[in-house]
Amino acid sequence: MKQKTLSMTMLVIVSLFLLAGTRLFAVEQLLRGFGAETLTQTFSQISQVITGDWQRLGLEFTRLQGKIFWKLYLAAMTAVPVLFLLHYLVFGPKTFSHEGKKIAYYASLVRLFHWLAAISFTLLAVTGLMVIFGKYLGGGHLIMGARLVHIPSAVVFTVSAAVLFLCWLKDMLPTGCDLEWFLILGGYLSRKKKPVPAGKFNAGQKIWFWLATIGGLVMAYSGYYLFAFNADVNVLRGWAIVHNFLGVAIVTFFLIHLYMSVFVVKGSLKSMVTGFKAEDEVAIMHNRYYQRLEK
Amino acid sequence: MARMKFLCDVERCIDCNGCVVACKEGNQVPVGINRRRVVTINAGRPGEKSISVACMHCSDAPCIAVCPVNAIYQREDGIVLVNKDICIGCGYCFMACPFGAPQFPKGDTFGARGAMDKCTFCAGGPAKDFSEKERRLYGQNRIAEGKPPLCAAMCATKALLAGDGDVIADIYRKRVFRRGSGANAWGWERAYKGR
Repeated sequence: MKQKTLSMTMLVIVSLFLLAGTRLFAVEQLLRGFGAETLTQTFSQISQVITGDWQRLGLEFTRLQGKIFWKLYLAAMTAVPVLFLLHYLVFGPKTFSHEGKKIAYYASLVRLFHWLAAISFTLLAVTGLMVIFGKYLGGGHLIMGARLVHIPSAVVFTVSAAVLFLCWLKDMLPTGCDLEWFLILGGYLSRKKKPVPAGKFNAGQKIWFWLATIGGLVMAYSGYYLFAFNADVNVLRGWAIVHNFLGVAIVTFFLIHLYMSVFVVKGSLKSMVTGFKAEDEVAIMHNRYYQRLEK
Repeated sequence: MARMKFLCDVERCIDCNGCVVACKEGNQVPVGINRRRVVTINAGRPGEKSISVACMHCSDAPCIAVCPVNAIYQREDGIVLVNKDICIGCGYCFMACPFGAPQFPKGDTFGARGAMDKCTFCAGGPAKDFSEKERRLYGQNRIAEGKPPLCAAMCATKALLAGDGDVIADIYRKRVFRRGSGANAWGWERAYKGR
């Protein structure tokens, strides 16, 4: 009996405490409703709404775009040609007689889409660089025009790169001789004409292929967001960073591709026009492919 | 030299959106572009507060840092302006701005963005003062007329203050000290009614 009274008393006391607790909580809420909140609290809530996600990539984007990107592009555009000039003076081009047997190398469909890709890519690179160095060209209609040319060029390039991707995919898969090619850097660091371990395409061409197709797809996808602006601001910043960094890599490899095909391997440019390569060129520069043809 | 600033008193702003309408109408801003907006927190609940936001006319503005064509510039009195003849509409300033101030009209070619538009502190633009081109591209130039920006001038509760940063900060500080509500609600005055 005594124990029961004790437990009842305990229950009443606990209930009283609980009641007082909830009442006090209500009073506190009431006070808050009448502006007992500090301005500091208010402003921290307001800045959550206005600038909430600003710092996620905002600082990185602002720093990269303001200070880094244009320097990277400037470095790629100056250092790479200087290195090429030195290479040309030291090692010289690879010349072949281009007489005798011709080997059919590029089908007409491949050549057509290669040149479509080449023209649209050149436009993309030139107009893109014009936007990056816009402040030295005065901005305005010229640079706005460059931005507008950038858009349809991207569409043409994406389509032609997709066709080339399907045409060349089989020959561009990595093979064992790619490692050997890297060890002697394709024989470009010597004046001698020794057979180079390469299939239809050498390892350097393969890197350019993957960078231009898969990298090109990423450029097109990120570029679409920068054009349409239909995503969260932080996503846009992320794509802008990706677009600019990947752009440096692609422009660099484009310059390499240009130098190799126009200056180093004489007759290379012509083969993309006519579709035929000279037998002696294939025998040296694409030795493994030549051996397969001979069988 | 004065340093122009906006200051919005959240204890006074009543979310009437008069500043937004005055700016849009007075400067004939195109459809789809708002140079100013009102943000409300805790709407309909205790602690509801509103604030009017536009370009903050930052010192060392991030938008100026990222512009690839140097279209954005800062006047000596701190007002940040865009030159629409130079702007290419790339949108980088929008990604750099913490306040979402830069706005873009839809262009005619491929639907690409046109030149950026934002709050001018009613100071027009780089075009000749009171010229037709200035009015068309940037709106009114009330600063050249010696008037405050439209939004602050018409604010019914005088929540939105615009002018020299030091002067408006002083006005705001005096208000806060006199105020018998909010942060200053509890004190001697309230307890002893001035005795």
